[in-house]
Amino acid sequence: MKKITFLIVFALVFSRPLFADDLADVKNIVSKSIVIVIDTIKNKSLDRSTRDKKIIDTVVPFFDFEFMAKVCLGKKHWTEASPEKRDQYLDLFVKRLQESYLEKLDLYTDEEVVVDEAKKEKNRIHVITHLVTKDDKMEMIYKFRETDNGWLVYDIEILGVSIVQTYRSQFSGFLKDKSFDDLLENLKSSDAFKVPTGDK
Amino acid sequence: MPAFYRLVSKDILINQSFKFLWIPFLVMLLNTGCSSNTTQPTPNLIPSQEESTVQINQSKPKESGIIEEQEQQPSQNDIAQDEEVDDFEEFDEFEEEFGDAEENQVWDPLGGYNRVMTSFNDVLLLWILEPVAKCYRWILPEFIRRGIANMFTNILYPVRLVNNLLQLKFKNAGEETIRFVTNSTVGILGFWDPAKEWGGFEAHDEDFGQTLGFYGVGPGPHFVLPFFGPRNLRDALSMYPDTYYFDPKTEYVEGIERQVAVFVLENVNKTSFRIGEYESLKRDAIDFYPFLRDSYEQMRQKEIEE
Repeated sequence: MKKITFLIVFALVFSRPLFADDLADVKNIVSKSIVIVIDTIKNKSLDRSTRDKKIIDTVVPFFDFEFMAKVCLGKKHWTEASPEKRDQYLDLFVKRLQESYLEKLDLYTDEEVVVDEAKKEKNRIHVITHLVTKDDKMEMIYKFRETDNGWLVYDIEILGVSIVQTYRSQFSGFLKDKSFDDLLENLKSSDAFKVPTGDK
Repeated sequence: MPAFYRLVSKDILINQSFKFLWIPFLVMLLNTGCSSNTTQPTPNLIPSQEESTVQINQSKPKESGIIEEQEQQPSQNDIAQDEEVDDFEEFDEFEEEFGDAEENQVWDPLGGYNRVMTSFNDVLLLWILEPVAKCYRWILPEFIRRGIANMFTNILYPVRLVNNLLQLKFKNAGEETIRFVTNSTVGILGFWDPAKEWGGFEAHDEDFGQTLGFYGVGPGPHFVLPFFGPRNLRDALSMYPDTYYFDPKTEYVEGIERQVAVFVLENVNKTSFRIGEYESLKRDAIDFYPFLRDSYEQMRQKEIEE
């Protein structure tokens, strides 16, 4: 009995603030990075490649792009692919995720990003943010999981649409009647694009 | 003669004769909703595969030779998996979180038609709507376009009011009413949005599809509409009560030509704020139609949960 009471007390005293610290830290990372990213976009003196590089450098440390790529493909297809194919896929898909992210930023005009709260969801942390435009409010959730390298983003949910989830079902549909090589081709072919204008 | 014409016009035809046409569909959807709910809590594919092979074994014992061959293939994979177990322990956890991609597929018996309609809408959007919206954006300054958008939002107050009430969201319904009264008067027919800017009252978008979802009606098959884009059967049918009963534009804009004109204006105006977004989405997709479909269904589910 004593042991149990001790454990409960221990749990109450120690685990909470520990987790609270994690929550605060993760929220902090998101807030800070968003500020840096927005400042970088607003800074018109930077040329494109410097700008893109700066943004990616800000984001990469807490995005687990490789893990996202794996989960997007799904365990079944990942295990079936040969090691070289896997590397090729990782390269292509990570590049694509990053490009897609950068491209979304080009649509940015004068929106405001508000970081609302960091929430514990089982053993993950969800950071809930809102992209506030003049006529709309879009919810974006950054989902973190704990890794050896600290808390990292493994999925983003925009208006309830999980990026990983949509890729998962696309890949599974695609690979139903096409080969893994076709998928790699598809990823290769779509990396050259011109960015549309974001003026409102 | 004009009076007679008016009698047989849309009011009679649509509001009277077809008034309850959509109800049987809803009953149907309710059934599908219930059935899909009961099948959902079994997302684990692996046991079901085992079950199915067992069933095959039992029902066709004579073809066991072929089945043994089939069974050998997955077992080879198992060995490959065993070698990489460390790599996949965390993987499994996430496989569970996102569910099996094949089992989570949106119900899509109309897939072939939907794909065609998605291409139709794609051409319409890229070659007509967006170019027109670009010119429109170039001609009209932002504050006017913003004002027009606000007016369209304001006039849809009855839709939001009724659906908020039906979903028992009384606080939101109250806020909507404050918004409507303030914006229609101080905001000059809804051109400005003082309720939000000064009072912080946001619009609470709710439509009849969400109301039905709130009461447990399932989405039904995915269904892409021409001009309107992705829907599912529930949401497509829900457009009917929303437009014909609750949308004042239907009541006060007379004649199909004018209604089309208003619809076009509303959508060109809306698109003028979103130029480039569609292309950007499209480039994200490996396969655009399922991407749109899944995004739509996930988004709606979230909206209903809220």
